[in-house]
Parts: sequence; structure tokens; C-alpha cells
Amino acid sequence: MLKKIQKHSRSRFEELGYPSKKLENWKFSSSKHLKKYSSNNSNNKDISIEQYSDEYTLCFINGEISLESLNKFIYKDDMTILDIDELKDESICSTSSNFEKEAFFHLGLSTIKSGKYFEFKEGCKFDTPIQILNVYNKNTEELRISSFNIFKLNQGNNISIIEQDINEGSGSFNLSLNKFICADNAILNHSMMYDDSTESNYLGYNYYELERNVLLNIDSMNINSTFNKNFIEIDLNREGSEVKINILNLARNEQHLDNNILVNHNAEHCISFQNVRNILNDQATCVFNGKVIVADGAQKTDSHQSNKNLLLSQNATAYSNPQLEIYADDVTCGHGSTTGALDKDSIFYLRARGIKETDANDILVKAFAKEILQEFVNDNIRNLSENNLDHWIDG
Amino acid sequence: MITIKDLKASIGDKDILKGINLEIPKGEIHVIMGRNGSGKSTLANVIAGNEKYEVDGGSITMNGNDMTEMSIENRALQGLFLCFQYPVAIPGVSMAYFLRAALNAKNKHDGKEEMDAVEFLTTAKKVLSDLGLDDSFLKRSINDGFSGGEKKKSEILQLLMLNPQLAVLDETDSGLDVDALRTVAQGVNEFKNDNNTVLIITHYQRLLEYIKPDVVHIMIDGKIVRSGDMTLVHEVEKNGYSWLIK
Repeated sequence: MLKKIQKHSRSRFEELGYPSKKLENWKFSSSKHLKKYSSNNSNNKDISIEQYSDEYTLCFINGEISLESLNKFIYKDDMTILDIDELKDESICSTSSNFEKEAFFHLGLSTIKSGKYFEFKEGCKFDTPIQILNVYNKNTEELRISSFNIFKLNQGNNISIIEQDINEGSGSFNLSLNKFICADNAILNHSMMYDDSTESNYLGYNYYELERNVLLNIDSMNINSTFNKNFIEIDLNREGSEVKINILNLARNEQHLDNNILVNHNAEHCISFQNVRNILNDQATCVFNGKVIVADGAQKTDSHQSNKNLLLSQNATAYSNPQLEIYADDVTCGHGSTTGALDKDSIFYLRARGIKETDANDILVKAFAKEILQEFVNDNIRNLSENNLDHWIDG
Repeated sequence: MITIKDLKASIGDKDILKGINLEIPKGEIHVIMGRNGSGKSTLANVIAGNEKYEVDGGSITMNGNDMTEMSIENRALQGLFLCFQYPVAIPGVSMAYFLRAALNAKNKHDGKEEMDAVEFLTTAKKVLSDLGLDDSFLKRSINDGFSGGEKKKSEILQLLMLNPQLAVLDETDSGLDVDALRTVAQGVNEFKNDNNTVLIITHYQRLLEYIKPDVVHIMIDGKIVRSGDMTLVHEVEKNGYSWLIK
């Protein structure tokens, strides 16, 4: 199975080539600097995960699962864990038709060493979240590291997954591909935390396939990424499901942050919220490409998109492109986008109460960010995010 | 307490204040009345240091300290408090956090210790109760989703908590119903003592039914054209401002 997927993807990548700025999804993101990275062939067996791993953690080292962490993983008896190569049904690996058009998606798939399939037993509800730790430990410069994992939630599952990257050594190009399948009445909370100091590049493709009455929360906070581009695509295939996406990105210097979100309302009575906020300083840039497509017949859809960008420097740039495509006639859909500096009247108000100008600015930046953070489902992630926010503001 | 001499200010190329002279001694309440657009709110904002306005001449002195070029926050720390006509909403910052930040900035400036959470809550709850506000008010974001009356009560809450030397009330009575007006006036009267000073800027007489001023000033076209006692207020109520224009 894996070889077949890789062969297909290799051929697709050769057809597509590296993405140019002529493509809508890459209009404001240059991929030129990503060409220099070559596939990782290093052996990960000697890398210890002792310092990171506890019984709730699944550790991936340079894209491959650590057997050490898998052996002590507390939930392993409540799951079926297979290599992708062992899957009989090819359709489980298929993702969206849009990812199929993405060259880097195929570049990632064509060069994965292995991939894992995690299926949760019906009715399983885990009180403590699963921590997915992607450890990128690079002794060689200019490595491209790819991973592909599939998570299947069955009826009645209530699962929280917290995904974090740990970059060590040289900067790399991390290509992360994930597919999440959610059966009826499942609840999935997927938190993504990115904090990097190795000037690595992150490119993520996350595809979510939702059946009936699913609740999906996606929370993400991103700081210190040189280049971070995340594709999120969600198919709401049956009625009654709800998706909430809350993303906070903080960037400075020449960092580049890019969120591409597509929500396909393919069924009636589904709800989706997209809330993306970017705070940019210096010459940082961000992109928001958010799209909602309401299919013909997806009546009673309720969908809201909001992108707000706070520019702390005159040289920072935000590209915002919220889009709605509606083919049904009985829906509630709205979108909005704002970009601007800190509000001068608010600064005056705080200073008029004796608060120093720098402190007033910090209070307003935190307030802007906290409106997203307070929506994060997981308390620990919210607290961690608030700490990260404080550190980022302190510079 | 505060002395304003020949104060001139503009916004863009529009001159608004055209030579204000005003002296308010400690312990007094003064009122400035005037038509819309006469420059009353500009005066309040210029006293508070709002950088939207350019000071083109003159001086503002408080307790002997020249404040004309002073930063906004230093004016506040010196004891100036502007009660805003249109308080801004700041989602994401709780009233409690804001009030403690303001109080601690003042305590630090005055060489006092930071107020601890228990002391803060005890003080705040007492003031909230006097203003007819629930304790949950402290958890709400600054002025976010507040009614017109709540916004003005929030300003009075801050006034009573920060206990400044000079309070400038910029049309604090606008948009209030009778009950809210009475509560706000009670707050101001509670604040007032022989050691502090109040400058009230208003359109209408109705606030002055509850707060008795020592001196009334009439402002027209960026200048104070007449000063007097409460009889001046009654004359304006009866005859308008036209008779005061030369």
C-alpha cells in the first residue's frame, strides 16, 4: 500500500513541480527557499525520547513513531495501531481533492519512511489528552522531514489530541500530513502548538472527514516560526456536525505565517466557526485564505469566518482573503476581516489612568490575543499559550 | 490647584481653544457650560494630554507643576482624572485587572506598596455596592457591552478608587436616566472634599440639581466669556447662549 501511494505521489509531484506564485494558495508565500531541503535518510534509533515521553505521549522522531513511546502509551489497548502499509482499504488514505493538487503534499507522501494508522475503539473517552510530540532532531543541515498519520474516531469517541513540535539541531523543512476520520457522535479536540527557535519551516496538511453529529475543535497557536503554512480542510459530510477553529499566530522579524482553511458544508444543519488572529511586528507577514463552500442542499448551514490582524509595525503585512461560496438558499453565513494598528483611543484611555504607554500597548496586545485563547478547549493548552504570549510580548 | 493661562489648541488646521484662562482653587467645584462645538470637550482632553490635539500656546499648571508638555500618564499620576464622555470599550481586559494596574501604577509613583488582591477586592466591592453595581462587574471587560449608564458608573467607580486631586467630568451626565444621574452625582459628591477639586463640563442644568458648583463659566468659540454663580446657569437655561455673544 505504502509503495503504491508513494509511487502515485512521486509521479504527481513530477507533474506539478514546486508551486509558483501563480497558484492561489501560494500567491503570497514563496516556496523557493524550500527547494534546498532534501529528504531525511538518517537513522533515528539512537535518539532518546526519555526526556519528553510519558504514558500519555506518542513520540515521533523525525517523522517516525518511537517504539519506546508506543510501548508505554497508556491508551494503546483502546486502539488499533497499524502501519499504513498494513491497511487493506486504500480509500482510508485518500484525502481531499484539493490536497491532491498540492505539490508539497505529494512531495511529503512520496518521501515518508512509514506512516501510522490509529483507530480508537468504539465508545472510548479519554480524560487526559493524547500528546503527539514531533521531535525533529537534525544533525545534518537542510533536511526535509515528512510524516503521514491517520486517526480514526469511531462512534461516541471523545478524544483530545495535543500536537507539539520540538525542533533540535539545525533548521529543517517539516512536512506534516494528517488525516482525521470522525464517525457519528464523535468529539475531537485537536490542539496544535508551534514554538520554534531553529528557524525550521513547517508545512502542514490536515484533513478532517466528519460524519453525523460530530463536534470538532481545532485550536492552534504559533510563535517564532520562520515559515509556517498550514492547510486545514474539513468535510462536513452528514448533518448535525459542528466545527470551531481558533488560531492565534504571533510573528516578528521576517517570519511568515499562513493559514489556508477550507470548510465544505456538504450536509444540512452543520455549523462552522473560523476565528484567526495574527499579531505581527517588524517585517513579518501573514496570510489568511479562508473559504466556506455551502453545497447545494446544505440547508440551515450556519457559518462564520473572522480574521483579525494586529500590526505592531508599519512594515508588517497581512493578506486576508475570506471567501464564501453558497449554493443553498436557506443558510446563515457571515465573514469579516479587519487589519490595523493598536487603537489610539484605547491607549489614551489606559494612559489617562496612569498606566505607562509601553504597558498600555502590552495590555491591548494581550487583550487582542486572549479573545482567541479563551476559546481554547483545553485548560492546559490555554495556560501554556498565555505563558507563551507573555514571553513573546516581553520579547 | 489648577491654573490655565491663555491656552490655545487645535486639531489639524482647525483652531479650537483660542485663549482659555481659568483658575480653580483647591476644594472648589467649577462648571463649564457652552453650546455644542464651543470647545468644552477639547479643553477636557487637552488638560488630560490627549495627543490628538496640538497645544499652540499657553500653559496648564497643577499644584505648581507645569503639565503643558507632560505625558498623559504622568498627568494622571500627578493626580488628574478625566471622566470620559465616551469611554472606550476594551474587550479582553477585565475591569479588575485594569483597576489594579491603575492603582498599582499610582501607588508605585507615590512610593507606596502594591495593593494586594484582598485589599483591592474589599475596597472595590464597597464602591460597587454604593453605585448599585454587582461584584461581577469587575470580571467584565472594560466598558464592553456596557449600557450608557454602566459606562458612566464605571467612570465614577474609577474616580472613587483612584481618588485623584482633580477630577474633570466631561459631560458625565449625557445619556443618563434620572436614577443613573442621581447615582453618578452621589458618587461625585462622595468623592468631593476640601482637599480636591472638580471641573464639570456639561450642556445642561440637570446635573447641577445634585452637585452644587462654586463657580460657573460659559464657554463660547474656544474662550471663556463669562464667569459667575448659579444664577448664570438659570439665565442660560432661560435665554440660551446668544445674549452672551458680543
